[in-house]
Amino acid sequence: MAAYLRPKRLEDALATMAEPGWVVLAGGTDHFPARVTHTPDEAILDVTALSELKGIDRMADGGLRLGAGVTWTEVIEAALPPACDGLKAAAREVGGVQIQNRGTIGGNLCNASPAADGVPPLLSLDAEVELASASGTRRLPLGRFILGNRHTARRSNELLVAVHLPAPALEATGRFLKLGARRYLVISIVMVAGTLSRTADGTIVAARLAVGACSAAAVRLPALEAALIGRPVTEAAAALQPSHLDLLRPIDDGRADAPYRRHAAATLVRRCLNELARAA
Amino acid sequence: MPTVSMTVNGKQVSGEVEGRTLLVEFLRENLRLTGTHVGCDTSQCGACVVHIDGNSAKSCSMLAIQANGTKVTTIEGLANGDELHPMQAAFKEHHGLQCGFCTPGMVMSAVDLVKKKPKASEHEIREWLEGNICRCTGYHNIVKAIQHAQQTM
Ligand SMILES: Cc1cc2nc3c(=O)[nH]c(=O)nc-3n(C[C@H](O)[C@H](O)[C@H](O)COP(=O)(O)OP(=O)(O)OC[C@H]3O[C@@H](n4cnc5c(N)ncnc54)[C@H](O)[C@@H]3O)c2cc1C
Ligand code: FES
Ligand code: FES
Repeated sequence: MAAYLRPKRLEDALATMAEPGWVVLAGGTDHFPARVTHTPDEAILDVTALSELKGIDRMADGGLRLGAGVTWTEVIEAALPPACDGLKAAAREVGGVQIQNRGTIGGNLCNASPAADGVPPLLSLDAEVELASASGTRRLPLGRFILGNRHTARRSNELLVAVHLPAPALEATGRFLKLGARRYLVISIVMVAGTLSRTADGTIVAARLAVGACSAAAVRLPALEAALIGRPVTEAAAALQPSHLDLLRPIDDGRADAPYRRHAAATLVRRCLNELARAA
Repeated sequence: MPTVSMTVNGKQVSGEVEGRTLLVEFLRENLRLTGTHVGCDTSQCGACVVHIDGNSAKSCSMLAIQANGTKVTTIEGLANGDELHPMQAAFKEHHGLQCGFCTPGMVMSAVDLVKKKPKASEHEIREWLEGNICRCTGYHNIVKAIQHAQQTM
């Protein structure tokens, strides 16, 4: 019979991860559906009792630390700055209530589905991930953590401990828009997240836009971001050029074909910019 | 085999299970509480919803051993003897079910909703039920039943 461990101390969890063969389990909402009709007898390391993975905290430098084990319900219920409105909107879109009650940020990122709704809003907040192993911790920008479809830079002995949102990105307004084939409980065809920072007179000083489900991993739109800087927010949407989306690599699948995805991405980016312009 | 123990519907229970046993299997097969249904293998349908320490969760998407030490409530734990829980009574009165397959999970989600958001609007009720799929009713009478139970719970 395979083992099941639910350590309370991070060092115990990391010592376990140093041995090969352990499968990390958080909320299980990606884990169990991937084991349809048969649950293999595997060694499970349940990380839901680790206090280091819990809680949303303001750091001394003004940044936010979100434990990897924070659930979507906890994101929805937390008092967060307006920059996190997009992240909250994404949290409300992850499955239904029961999925939000158990599914975690860390699970969403480590599972690394191209359609993971948590990724674009966290990219638009300049998120960094904190990884820990028995030999130490390291931090990576989220964009360098998720490398492709179900592919991350996490080493097999590493646990995702937290996601850090740096202070400058929190001085912004945030939005998230998701397109699915129906209103509820749906895998995204395209999703767009953005944050804009502006001066008192409404000039854009920083823009961070990300598109998901249109490439193997969600991406930021650096050309658009550069074009937005210095513009009045009211003219943000007018800055969008088709070439800004050239780096997207949408695929054809059962949910949508590539040209539709590209078209929908442009529409959602425009809507997102218009909503951000209207936001106070 | 590991032993799990938890409180189910107010009673302390324990049992030996294989590590990979899902909570829903433990409830249905070990405890013979077959009111909790399994309607899919993708964690989508919500027929398996139970309460774990007061929050609704899909019992098909967690191991029995993960519920160790928790308080679990299933559909069998709602009625008080012969007296239906107000939510069950409301589903009965408003024809909130046809075949009844989705009903245990629907009722458990709905009870959680009324506890967390007693004044939920019709729109909020529909949103809350997004993880509960019904093939029969078209949801209208389920929503009506929940609106009624908002008054009686
Ligand atoms: C019905 C349904 C609807 C869904 N809808 C959506 C949706 O709309 N949008 C969306 O984005 N997702 C959706 N999901 C997917 C899923 O709910 C989310 O991705 C969720 O955030 C996963 O978190 P979890 O804690 O349940 O992960 P788990 O299933 O526990 O783990 C997922 C993966 O991450 C690894 N992992 C987890 N935590 C860590 C850690 N701290 N360190 C290292 N590795 C770790 C696990 O080993 C596993 O490989 C849905 C799932 C279901 C069942
Ligand atoms: S059996 Fe369908 S969601 Fe659990
Ligand atoms: S009553 Fe038949 S599935 Fe809902």
